[in-house]
Amino acid sequence: MRATFRAAMLESWANRRSFWTQLAAMFVNDIAWVAFWVLFFEEVGEVRGWARADALMLLAVITTAAGFVLGVTGNVRRVASVIADGELDAALALPTPTLVHLLARRIEPVNIGDLVFGCLLFALAGDPTPARIAVFAFGVVTAVFVYGGFLLALGSLAFRTGRGEVGELGFHAVTMLASYPVDIFSGPTKFVLYTVVPSAFVSSVPVRLLDSFDPQWAALGAGAALLSATIGVVSFQTGLRRYTSGAAWTRA
Amino acid sequence: MTIVADRLARSFVTGRRRARRVVEAVQGLSFTVEPGERVAFIGPNGAGKSTSIKMLTGILHPTSGDATVLGRCPWRERRALTRDIGTLFGQRSQLWTELTPRQSYRMLGAIFGLDDRRLDRRTAELGALLDAEDLFDVPVRTHSLGQRMRCELAACLLHEPKILFLDEPTIGLDLLAKQRFREMVVRLNEAQHTTILLTSHDVADIEYVADRVIVINHGRLIYDDSVDRMRREYFATKLIEVGLMHPVDRFETLGASVVHQSDLSIRLVVDTQVLPVRDVVDALLERLPVADLSIVDPPLEDVIASIYRVRSS
Repeated sequence: MRATFRAAMLESWANRRSFWTQLAAMFVNDIAWVAFWVLFFEEVGEVRGWARADALMLLAVITTAAGFVLGVTGNVRRVASVIADGELDAALALPTPTLVHLLARRIEPVNIGDLVFGCLLFALAGDPTPARIAVFAFGVVTAVFVYGGFLLALGSLAFRTGRGEVGELGFHAVTMLASYPVDIFSGPTKFVLYTVVPSAFVSSVPVRLLDSFDPQWAALGAGAALLSATIGVVSFQTGLRRYTSGAAWTRA
Repeated sequence: MTIVADRLARSFVTGRRRARRVVEAVQGLSFTVEPGERVAFIGPNGAGKSTSIKMLTGILHPTSGDATVLGRCPWRERRALTRDIGTLFGQRSQLWTELTPRQSYRMLGAIFGLDDRRLDRRTAELGALLDAEDLFDVPVRTHSLGQRMRCELAACLLHEPKILFLDEPTIGLDLLAKQRFREMVVRLNEAQHTTILLTSHDVADIEYVADRVIVINHGRLIYDDSVDRMRREYFATKLIEVGLMHPVDRFETLGASVVHQSDLSIRLVVDTQVLPVRDVVDALLERLPVADLSIVDPPLEDVIASIYRVRSS
């Protein structure tokens, strides 16, 4: 894995101008989000218990977690298309765990920009005492596993459907929904955000822990992380038996 | 035996709901391969060649049947098997496009557990064998397809595999690059006794590389014999296409049959068991205002049709 990851780093670093441009573009995008939340809460003050500081922490958590998942394990967003297009062949020809190799194979500089931005935002606006840093790190780790596991499970559906779009749809759904406080939703929608599309665990739950640490919510976050990661890995590993190397779809 | 395939079968489900159907890509394929053999797996598009080779490398799981490669079941012991086999897919890359091949080889060397000294020695050996040393330090994205395939071949040979699976390795290459690639594969087999299993739908790949040919069509084995015998039995005809500088009225065909004639082109079929191609070409060059001339094999589809005809009669 270390060798694969090193090669992926070298590749993303091969075109340095592109690397820095992408990183900077994502910084600008994230700063626009900060401006949006600041202006929004300037106008409305508070929404269902969420204030400006909470929204900024939500942004810090989601950019750090999504930046890690999409930046460091860049192929996780492409799992469905990799399966549908038969691109797993190269990974399956090597004596490495296929999933680990696939995930370590690609680094996305644009999302590394998110990762760096999220950490900086927490450092600047998150009152980073040692205790809060620990809670932030815990929240980000659970968010990484929930987000990564969800994308992996959804992408692995391509073993059954043979379609690559499903991963992209899931990515947009969970990312967009995690960009807003879960408490602005209610009823069945809120239930969905804690279960089927677990975006609440990607951003709102870690922010709740930062706001006031509650062991029960921490356990819930850890449980969701474990469950999501397990579903993702099991979906991928069992799906490998059904892998068609793209043959079924090109011949149909 | 190096490879044993026993009634291997693989089906794919395609379409949805009413359009749903099952495609039998490979149906009950059985054959064996001895160490050091050069075997060509041929058949038209969709015949099941790639599916078969991917089952034998553990990439695909069969629907039914069994196989062993170097004594291992490919799909159950894939990771262990990949240490002893090399796979090259013409349309799939093992190299990082933005990196030089040498950088990719470092990663592959680490995966295969080669230490730096062994990797450097092996890279130098392969550079010399494949005449590709000058390509190893140039980013892959700047390579031509032919150059890239040479580097891909080196990548799958780094760990000194006992068997090399080549799936359509010459696809997309120009004539010169194809010929060069074929020569390298033969050199490799002769120098290191590597067993070669090659899929192709290019007849020339088989003639230059293989000493045994397995023909499959619609997922079934329809022919398994030496290339020499197949050449005698089914490649006994050559097609000669002649471009003319100006129209001609009549000419002697020397026993070759004319299958097409227009003002500025003639196409003839020569039975090489009756008449050497060279005699016909000499006569054509002497008697006709030849602007262009090419000799080609009969299309693979015609060969397969002939095999079917012979087998059914």
